[in-house]
Amino acid sequence: MKPLSRIVLAALALWLPASAFAQDVTLPQRKGSVRFAVIGDAGTGDKQQYAVASQIANFHKKFPFTFAIMLGDNLYGADRPQDYRKKFEVPYKPLLDDGVEFNAALGNHDDPNQRFYKPFNLGGQRYRTFKKGNVRFFVLDSNYMDPEQVKWLEKELAASGSDWKIPYFHHPLYTSAARGPEQELRSILEPIFVKYGVEVVFNGHEHIYERIKAQKGIHYFVAGGSAKLRVGDSHLGDLVEANFATDRSFMLIEVDRDELYYQAISMTGKTVDKGVIRRKASSKPPLPPSPKVTASKARVKPKTTAPATKPAAPAPTKPNPSPM
Amino acid sequence: MSLSERRGAGIRWAVAVLLVGLTLGCGKEERVDPTETAFAEFTKRIDDFVTLRNRLADSVGPLDPTGTPAEITARSARLANAIIAARTGAKPGDIFTTEVATVIATLIKEEYTRRPPKVIETRGDAQEELPDFVPRIDTLYPTTYPLATFPATLLPMLPRLPEQLEYRIVGRYLIIRDVEANLIIDFMPNAVPGVE
Repeated sequence: MKPLSRIVLAALALWLPASAFAQDVTLPQRKGSVRFAVIGDAGTGDKQQYAVASQIANFHKKFPFTFAIMLGDNLYGADRPQDYRKKFEVPYKPLLDDGVEFNAALGNHDDPNQRFYKPFNLGGQRYRTFKKGNVRFFVLDSNYMDPEQVKWLEKELAASGSDWKIPYFHHPLYTSAARGPEQELRSILEPIFVKYGVEVVFNGHEHIYERIKAQKGIHYFVAGGSAKLRVGDSHLGDLVEANFATDRSFMLIEVDRDELYYQAISMTGKTVDKGVIRRKASSKPPLPPSPKVTASKARVKPKTTAPATKPAAPAPTKPNPSPM
Repeated sequence: MSLSERRGAGIRWAVAVLLVGLTLGCGKEERVDPTETAFAEFTKRIDDFVTLRNRLADSVGPLDPTGTPAEITARSARLANAIIAARTGAKPGDIFTTEVATVIATLIKEEYTRRPPKVIETRGDAQEELPDFVPRIDTLYPTTYPLATFPATLLPMLPRLPEQLEYRIVGRYLIIRDVEANLIIDFMPNAVPGVE
C-alpha cells in the first residue's frame, strides 16, 4: 500500500467513529454571545454523572462557555463534605479548573444549606437573580414557593427591562413525564411569567430531556437527565416538541442578541436536539443573517424554530446587582 | 324657637342617642374570632422560639458562604445542639397547641377538598420519594431523605413563618423545621388528609 493511501485510510479510521457520534457543536459561537451549559439532577456521584461531566468538559473545549446553571438535585442523599466532593467537586473538576462558574437552584433532594456553599453561587439565599450580558436569570426555589418569593420574583421581573428573562428552577410546569407537571406552581408562576415577558424557562426533576411546545409564548425545557434516567418517560405529542429519554443528557445554550440557540447532547456526545428561539425584534437594529439551525433527526417533530415570544419593552440596562 | 334653643335641643338629642348607643353596646359581648386568637398565640410562640434560636445562632457564629462544606455541616450541627440544649423538656404541641392544631387541620382539610384530583395526586407523589418516618421533637430531619415539596397554593393559607423556619409535610404530619439547624421544632399528627 502506498504511503498516501495509508495516510488517507488512517485519517478515515480516525474520522469515522467521531462522525458516527456527531460530536459537533451546532451553536454559532458568535463574538460577544452569552454561552452556558445546563445540568439537571446530576448529583448522584455515580459513573453516569461522571460520564456526562466528562462529556460536558469535552464540549467545553469546543464551546468555551463561562458558566453553567444547575436545575436542582445537586447532591442526592447526604450532604456531608465527602458528598460535595464526590458529587460535585470531582466530576466537574476540569470545568472548575477552567474557571466555569456554577449557578445552582435547589431541588427536593437538596438541603437548603447548600445555599451557603460558595461554588453554587446562591450567596446564602434560596432564590436570587443574576445577569450575564443581555440575559437576566431568575433562580427560584420551587420546593418552597412562599408568598415572599413570589412577591420578590414579580418585583425583579418588573425591573429587568429589555433583557432576556430566563427563570430556572427544579419542578417543571409542563412535562409529559409520568409524575406530571407541577400544576399548583404553574397557577402561581405562569401568570407572572406571561405578564413580564419571560421567554424561556429551564426545569429539571424529570430525568429526561424535553422541549415543550411554546405555552402562552413561553418556551420550556426539561433537562433533568444529567445523571439519572427514566427510560422512555417522555412522549411526543400535543405538548412535547422534541425529547430524548434513552440516555443521559445536558444542554448547551448560546444567546446572541435576540436569538437563543440550544443544543441538547447525550452522554455519548450525540446531538439529540438543536434549534433557535427568536424574540420579536425590539427597538434594536435588525440582525445580520444567521446560520440556519435545523432540527436534529432524533425524536423531533419537524418544526424546530420556535415562534417568537412577546417583545420585550425597551428599557435602559440596569447595572448588575450583586446576588441576593 | 330661637337659635340658642334649637342648638340646645340638638345637643340634648345627640347626648340621648349617644347614651342609648352606649347602653346597647355594653350589653353586647365582644365577638372573638377563634382562628385569629389561635393564630395570634401561634405567632407568639413562634416569635419566642425565634428569639431564642437567634440568640443561640449569634453564639455559634454566623454562617457566611464558604467553599468548605465541612464548615456548613459543622455550623448546622452546632446550632442544632445549642437549640436542643436550650429546649430541654420541649414536647409536641408546644407550638402547635391544641387550638392551633384544630384550626390548621380544618384549614388544610378544606383546602384539599377544593383542589382537583390531579393536584392531590401530585401532592401524593411528592411524598412517595420520602421514606416513612415519625418525626420527633428536637431531632434532625434525616439528612439522607428528600424534603417533600410544599404545596405552593397551600402555603399562603398557613400562618406566615419567619425565614429561619419552614413548614414541611411528612406523610400525614405537618412539621416545623429550623432550616439552618435542620431540626424538627414541632409537628402536628393527622394534619394532612390521607392521599390514596
